[in-house]
Amino acid sequence: MTTLTKEDSIRHHAWAKLRIQGVSKTFASLDGGAYRALGEVDIDITRGDFYCLLGPSGCGKSTILNLVAGFDKPTSGVLLIEGAEVPKWASVISGPSTDRTMVFQDVSAALFPWLNVEENVLFGPKLAGHTAAECRDKLTYYLSMVGLTDHARKFPFELSGGMKQRVQIARALIMEPEILLMDEPFAALDAITKRGLQRELVRIWEETGTTILYVTHDITEALLLATRTAVMTRGPGAGIRKEVAVSLARPRDPNSAEFGAAARALETLLEEENSVAGSIDAA
Amino acid sequence: MSLVQSMRLDVSQKDKLPVRLFDRLRKPIRKATFAIISLGTVLLLWHLSVGTLFNPVLVASPAATFSKMAHMLESGELARHVAVSLQRVLIGYVVGCAIGIVAGTLIGRSAIISELTDPLLELVRPISPVAVVPLAMLWFGIGETSKYAIIIYSTAIIVILNTAAGVSQTPATRVQAAQCLGANRRQLFLRVILPSAVPQILTGMRVALGFAFMGIVAAELIGAREGLGFLIMNSQMLMQTDQLFVGLLTLGIVGLVIDRIFRIVLARSMRRYMTSGSLL
Repeated sequence: MTTLTKEDSIRHHAWAKLRIQGVSKTFASLDGGAYRALGEVDIDITRGDFYCLLGPSGCGKSTILNLVAGFDKPTSGVLLIEGAEVPKWASVISGPSTDRTMVFQDVSAALFPWLNVEENVLFGPKLAGHTAAECRDKLTYYLSMVGLTDHARKFPFELSGGMKQRVQIARALIMEPEILLMDEPFAALDAITKRGLQRELVRIWEETGTTILYVTHDITEALLLATRTAVMTRGPGAGIRKEVAVSLARPRDPNSAEFGAAARALETLLEEENSVAGSIDAA
Repeated sequence: MSLVQSMRLDVSQKDKLPVRLFDRLRKPIRKATFAIISLGTVLLLWHLSVGTLFNPVLVASPAATFSKMAHMLESGELARHVAVSLQRVLIGYVVGCAIGIVAGTLIGRSAIISELTDPLLELVRPISPVAVVPLAMLWFGIGETSKYAIIIYSTAIIVILNTAAGVSQTPATRVQAAQCLGANRRQLFLRVILPSAVPQILTGMRVALGFAFMGIVAAELIGAREGLGFLIMNSQMLMQTDQLFVGLLTLGIVGLVIDRIFRIVLARSMRRYMTSGSLL
C-alpha cells in the first residue's frame, strides 16, 4: 500500500468513485479517554452505485458519512474521491465540498427556514456566484424531479416533513455532486410517505445516474434501494461485517419471495452481530 | 370526482362569507373587551379612592390628571416633552443596538472573547441605569451625550447577550449543509449564522426597547430642562401630583405605542425570519 499525504492537490489513480482505505476514527470521550468509534474500514464505491451502510444505531455509520463529507478527519487512513474534470483521477478528501452534498435526517435544522423552496434550492449555485436567472432551467428541472414545482414559493414551515425532504434532495442534486450522501433521510417520516419517497429516490437515481452513499438501520429500506449494502459491526472499533450485492430486479416488491429471503439473510447477519455484541457485554 | 369538486366549491364559498371576517376579528374584540374591563375597573377604583382612602394632594384624581393632560396637550407642552425624550430614547437605542449586535456577534463567534467577557457582563448586568448616572455625569458632563450614554448602557447589554446566544446556537447540521453547498467562512457567517440568529436578536431588541424607556428617567436626572423624566421629577419637587401622574401615564402610553410600532414593522419586514414562532 502506498503512503498518501493528505493534500487535496495530490491526485491519485482512481480505483473507484469513492475509495475509503484503512480509515479509522477515534473520538476523545468526555472522561478524557479515547473512544475508537471506527476500526479500519475499507470500502470501494463504484460510479453509479447505490451503496447502503446498514447497521444498528451507534455503529459508526454516520461517522463514515461525516468523514466522506469532510466534516471530520479520519484518525488513520485516507478517503479518495474521483473527480469530474479528470475521470480516473482521484483527490484526497480534506474538507466539505460541493462534489459531496449531503441530505440530513434533521430536516428542520438542515433547511434555511428564512428562504423559500426555490431560494433553498438555489442556495448553493448562488454561493458560487450564479444568478437566479442563470439557474432557471436547472431549478425547473430539479424542482419537477422532486415534485415541488407548485410549491416553489412556499417556506419550509408551510411544508410537510416529506416535502421538506424533497427540498433537501433538490438542493443537494442541483450541485450535481460526484456522490450524494444521505443520512437516514426518511427515518423520521411516516410509513406511507417513506415508501413513496423511497420509490421516487430510486427513480431519481436511475434518471441522474448519481452515485449515492446511503445510511440506514432499516433492512427493507436497504433492500429497496441499494445495489450493494454493507452490514456493519457494532462499535467500539466498528467495521464492515459483510458486503452484500443486492441483485433483486427493479421495481422491487417487498412482498415477493426473493425479497423476503434477502431480508431474512440480512436479518440473520444483523442478529449474529447483536449476539456477538451481547456475549462481549456479558463477559 | 364530482364530490371533490362540490367540496372545493363549498370551501371557496365559505371563504367569502362574512362569518370569516367575524372569525378574524373575534380575538381582537375579545382582547379589547378585557382591556376596557381591566382599565375601567382601575379607573373607577382610582376615582373612588381619591379623597376617601387617599389624600388628593398625594394622589391626583383621574379628573384632575386628565384635565391637566388636556391642558398640557393644548399648550403643546406635553408634545415637547415627548419629542425630547423620544429623541433621546431612539438615538440611544439605535446606537445601543448597533453596539450590542456587533459585540454580541464577536462574543458569540469566539470562545475566547466569550470566556473573557462573560464574567464582566455578569458583573455589569445587575447594575441599573440609575447607578451609572453619576459616572455618566463625570465622563460626559451634563449635556445630551451623558443622556445617550445611559440609554445606550440600558439597551446594549441585553442586545449583546441575546445576539451572542443566537449567533452561537446555529444548528450544527445547518452549518454542515451550507459547507456542503460550498459556503466559505464569510458566506457561512453572513448567509447562515447571522440569519439563524435573527429571531433571538430581535427578541433582545424588543426587550431592550422597554429598557430604553426605563432608562429615560435616569438619563433625565442629569441637568435636563425638558423630557418626560424631567417632567416627572420636576412635578415631584413642585408637589404637582396631577402633572406627575400625567408624566407617568404619558411615559407608559408612548412606550406602548413605540413597542406596537416596532412589532408591526418587524412583523412585516422580518416575516421570513420569524417563522418558527416568537414573541413578535
